[in-house]
Amino acid sequence: MKEIIIGLSGINAIDNPGPGVGVARSLKEDKSLNVKIVGLAYDAMEPGIYLDWLIDKSFILPYPSGKNEAFIERLLYIKESYGLDFIIPNLDAELPLYIKYADVLEKNGIKTFLPDITQFRLRGKDKLKEVAEKIKINLPETLVVTSYEEFLRGIETFGFPLMVKGSFYKAYKAYTAQEAIYHFNHIVAEWGYPIIIQKVVAGEEMNVVAVGDGEGNSLGSVCIKKMWVTSLGKIWTGVTIKNEKMLTAVENFIREYKWKGPFELECIMVGNEVYLIEINPRFPAWSHFATGVGINLAANIIKKSYDLEFDEKPDYEAGKLFVRYTYELITDMKTFQNIVTKGES
Amino acid sequence: MSRLGILAINDEGFAFDPQSGESFTLNKTALCILKGLKDNKDIKEITAMITENFDISYEEEVEKDLSDFIEHLRIYQLI
Repeated sequence: MKEIIIGLSGINAIDNPGPGVGVARSLKEDKSLNVKIVGLAYDAMEPGIYLDWLIDKSFILPYPSGKNEAFIERLLYIKESYGLDFIIPNLDAELPLYIKYADVLEKNGIKTFLPDITQFRLRGKDKLKEVAEKIKINLPETLVVTSYEEFLRGIETFGFPLMVKGSFYKAYKAYTAQEAIYHFNHIVAEWGYPIIIQKVVAGEEMNVVAVGDGEGNSLGSVCIKKMWVTSLGKIWTGVTIKNEKMLTAVENFIREYKWKGPFELECIMVGNEVYLIEINPRFPAWSHFATGVGINLAANIIKKSYDLEFDEKPDYEAGKLFVRYTYELITDMKTFQNIVTKGES
Repeated sequence: MSRLGILAINDEGFAFDPQSGESFTLNKTALCILKGLKDNKDIKEITAMITENFDISYEEEVEKDLSDFIEHLRIYQLI
């Protein structure tokens, strides 16, 4: 089979891990694919750069918040100097850029598998009410506000504790009005309006990773329960589950919105009720869990994009355990020197 | 199907709910009761199972404890 060179970002496998290394593992483990992995890093210390059995070569990229042209030029340089056939972006902040320039990249021989910008905006917490209704899943009582006065009225009506959230980033629990106002000011200063006030729903954290093909079909989904999380709320131990309500909501989401690409639904289960908390428009850091139970979503994206055969109705077992662990790599300075001096490993 | 119906229970007394991901450890008596309930046995039949398997003669007391245990299962929303 023809070699495919795939660029992956989010190779920062740290205590708040990016998804890239898990995606690289998934792609390398599919023996029907012949892939080379290019790490798209933003810092010389991203551990993925040094995992040469998973990531064949890495490049430092300019930040996506800077000049778009510089970012795209860097990708085109990688294409020319090393080869780059496909990119799976794994970080929220870079997705709008990749979506905007998907056509430019395609014309230059770099494929992507991404939602369009309208679909991408659905992840906004101010849109979750509409999404939850459409995909038939509960949403904790929510109020979207665009002024301080509205916010004060909102927190009085909701009572405490409550969640104060930005539309895309930041979420804080507040136990008092003072705390809520502090978080409100902090989020508005950093991210602007709208601000979301939400009732706290206490229950079990459940997540689904899935991929939509852009035509209303699923390329697979796996539902898990977080059994143990770090102080940053990141999964450390988890178990696969088959929660019909969540899996149906995922199917509805893919069908209703014709979502293209990977995504994660974060939910809370209270008794038999499932509440939608967040939509992440990319692979989660634990996506290799799905591969481990037989659903290689990253490989399915590549196979779908290159018209290769794959199992279109993949299934998995409930009760499979995910245990994250720490590990150290001892290596010489050569890779570090290269990445620091030349911007590539 | 009730949660109890979908519960995966092994012979060592580990029970796993594939819908919620919750797991429970059961002692020998609880294992016997849950297996009985899964097989749609009524309280009288399960009481008989317990008295026989654990060599207990106080049937009335077993029945009372069993009703109490079933209430706990209701609280856990297992039945």
